[in-house]
Amino acid sequence: MSKYRIKFSKTGMGKFISHLDLLRAFNRTVTRAELPVRYTQGFNPHQIVTFALPLSVGVESETEFVDIDFEDGTSFDKILNGLNENFPEDLYAISVSEPVFKAKDIFSAEYSVSIDADFGRSEKKVSDFFAQNEYIVLKKSKKGEKEVNLMDFIYEADVLKENDNRADIRLVLAAGGEKNIKPDLVLGSLESYLTPIKFDLTHIRRTNIFCKIQEKVEIFC
Amino acid sequence: MRGKYDEKLEKILCEVQKPARYTGNELNSVHKEKTDGMVSFAFAFPDLYEIGMSHLGMKILYHMLNERSDTVCERVFAPWSDMEQLMQDNDIPLFSLESKTSVREFDIVGFTLQYEMSYSNVVNMLALSRIPLRSRERGDSDPFVCVGGPCAYNCEPLADIIDFAVLGEGEEVNGELIDAYKEWRAEEKPTRESYLERIARIEGVYVPSFYDVEYNADNTVKSITPNRGCAPAKIRKRIIGDLDNVFFPEKLIVPFMDIVHDRIMLEIFRGCIRGCRFCQAGYIYRPVREKSVDRLCEIAANSIAATGYEEMSISSLSTSDYTKLGALVDGLLDITEKKRINLSLPSLRVDNFSMELMEKVQKVKKSGLTFAPEAGTQRLRDVINKNVREEDLVRTAGIAFDGGYNHIKLYFMIGLPTETYDDVAGINDLARKVVDVYYTLPKERRKRGVSITVSTSSFVPKPFTPFQWEPQDRMETLVDKQKFLKEKITTKTISYNWHQSEVSFLEAVFAKGDRRLGEVLISAHEKGCKFDGWNEYFSYEKWMAAFEENNIDPEFYAYRKIPYDEVLPWEHIDVGVTKKFLIKEHERAMEGVTTPSCRENCAGCGAASFGGGVCFE
Repeated sequence: MSKYRIKFSKTGMGKFISHLDLLRAFNRTVTRAELPVRYTQGFNPHQIVTFALPLSVGVESETEFVDIDFEDGTSFDKILNGLNENFPEDLYAISVSEPVFKAKDIFSAEYSVSIDADFGRSEKKVSDFFAQNEYIVLKKSKKGEKEVNLMDFIYEADVLKENDNRADIRLVLAAGGEKNIKPDLVLGSLESYLTPIKFDLTHIRRTNIFCKIQEKVEIFC
Repeated sequence: MRGKYDEKLEKILCEVQKPARYTGNELNSVHKEKTDGMVSFAFAFPDLYEIGMSHLGMKILYHMLNERSDTVCERVFAPWSDMEQLMQDNDIPLFSLESKTSVREFDIVGFTLQYEMSYSNVVNMLALSRIPLRSRERGDSDPFVCVGGPCAYNCEPLADIIDFAVLGEGEEVNGELIDAYKEWRAEEKPTRESYLERIARIEGVYVPSFYDVEYNADNTVKSITPNRGCAPAKIRKRIIGDLDNVFFPEKLIVPFMDIVHDRIMLEIFRGCIRGCRFCQAGYIYRPVREKSVDRLCEIAANSIAATGYEEMSISSLSTSDYTKLGALVDGLLDITEKKRINLSLPSLRVDNFSMELMEKVQKVKKSGLTFAPEAGTQRLRDVINKNVREEDLVRTAGIAFDGGYNHIKLYFMIGLPTETYDDVAGINDLARKVVDVYYTLPKERRKRGVSITVSTSSFVPKPFTPFQWEPQDRMETLVDKQKFLKEKITTKTISYNWHQSEVSFLEAVFAKGDRRLGEVLISAHEKGCKFDGWNEYFSYEKWMAAFEENNIDPEFYAYRKIPYDEVLPWEHIDVGVTKKFLIKEHERAMEGVTTPSCRENCAGCGAASFGGGVCFE
């Protein structure tokens, strides 16, 4: 076995680290820790590091996954300690294990959202937004922009709390290679729906990643 | 104010482009609590994070100050326009990255002046910090504002804005400034003036307000006179004698985001033995002082361990002039190869030995090589004392093409003193010869698709060089020369880039400016000038309006040939290299006579007065 799966958290100011920057931070942490990482062959060898599901900038998480190839027989503890002793602030390795599911089977992700805003000023309610069957938005992808029904990408939306100045929401959104949506687009759409109010502060935290194996939804690990 | 802006900041960081410019949570960044009795120093770089974080001097001084238990040093950069707007909308003043403290709350704010076109950012950053722009307007609740770096040697345009300048290398003098600050604070009645009087006695510290400048009717400087006893008639720069035993940071900050030079920079020596006559760095950093191979290998190994960087670059003005380069490269490769770290050797001179080294180092990814002949003809290269011969370039290009390279960049300057259109045409001729070298190689020995890039910058006369008395070419002339060269270049194999001549003009004005330009800087700031080094911001019209408003003719500074006996605005600054030597070099330039390097023959420039380095090898 050479592929190790590391569960890690990215919190605090760490939420502002972009995906590409995160990869670089992992490479350099592994180098500092002098862990026996494997490199690709070829002219420009690089460490074999793959993230399960990119996290949007501005979103915190305590349930991120990265796969790194180390030499056979490297102990879980050595990897865990090596990373944690060398990580920059705001990154923390929670556990190391053998991969169970494949990243390509990732199906959805759960987010916990809390929004500070003057909700009292809007005639519409947060829960009304999620109760709609259709809400057309312009979705950008590598292929260009496309109009889609946002509701097709929202698998679950529980408004846990909604008062004049705060809303707490649990969302399960489409995620993975086949169908994916960023929480920003959902919250941006919610904000326009609630016009004229503006969100003061939004906390978004990814709380779970799910995969689908033969129609059965499992927590990714 | 610590923490006061946390929530607002968090919100704007979610809206801004590249928030990692402002978060300050990088590996090895130093986060200290400021307690009573400590001195706080804001190290400000008047440009974006990704530019400032690429600067070695900042890394050295930041970590050095933070080594002191009585000092907190934090970083400040210029916010990009989106961030500046959001900060203003949310009433957030400019803050330091580490503790998000308002810059105004620091004891000392130090700007590093790396290029003249950053001066408007200095003013803008003071304004964003809500610090009064002119030194005389500052009071007890304001920090001291100082500058350092190469442009500080003639910081006269900023003389009324700053409280003091630090001339030369900062490793020792910065500590002395902190010590003096603590002593001053313990005074019975510390006033701003009493601190400045205290530090004016420190060698290398320049307090502009302690000097009166008088002007002649023709606007030239008549005299520069100290107006109090503590201020020396001449302010002498500081240098570090022994680079092996001076602090050098190994636990470097590792940014999350991609910065311009995202690698370990290993400084192998300071100064330059060459004496190219246009190059300010070649004179102000004299004498050449080297670090030993052993010390460099030690720094290299420790820096790699502390950062995890995948690349290391040697840093100096002319890598090939390091006396034991072969041994150094072998020693470094021993360390880097095992750890899969790329070693790069920039600033190599054109010779066989360099190619051999390149081969050793760049085992993979052969693409581009850069050479800087600076001028198109041997005549002009002799004038500027750039001792590169056409044969050297042609031979090295041949070796490079044979060795698998197919792209060569050539850097030149236009507008050099004595330049004619023949010299400009010579740039094309030289580039053509390099192309010809490629085609003389048998097909199977050359990599397909040769391309040569010619870049010209425009000559800017700089203080403390033999060309300080020379006028700059008028903008129209520069543009005409660029056009002329563009038309000469007829093959698609050669592509041509040039610099905006308006920017070069302003650079000359501020490089050679006097303190009357301070009000122009403030007017330009009021008109919105900032990030002048960035095309999307630079506005020539706003600058011209600022000059007009203050009744100042910028051409006076850039286009005038200055006689040797005129008092220069930087006459009171002593960089070691004497005026007598510069005059001699200027005369030799006009005769087209070259001057050998410091190692071949001492030319008696005056830097030996520092008592070390190459002068005593």
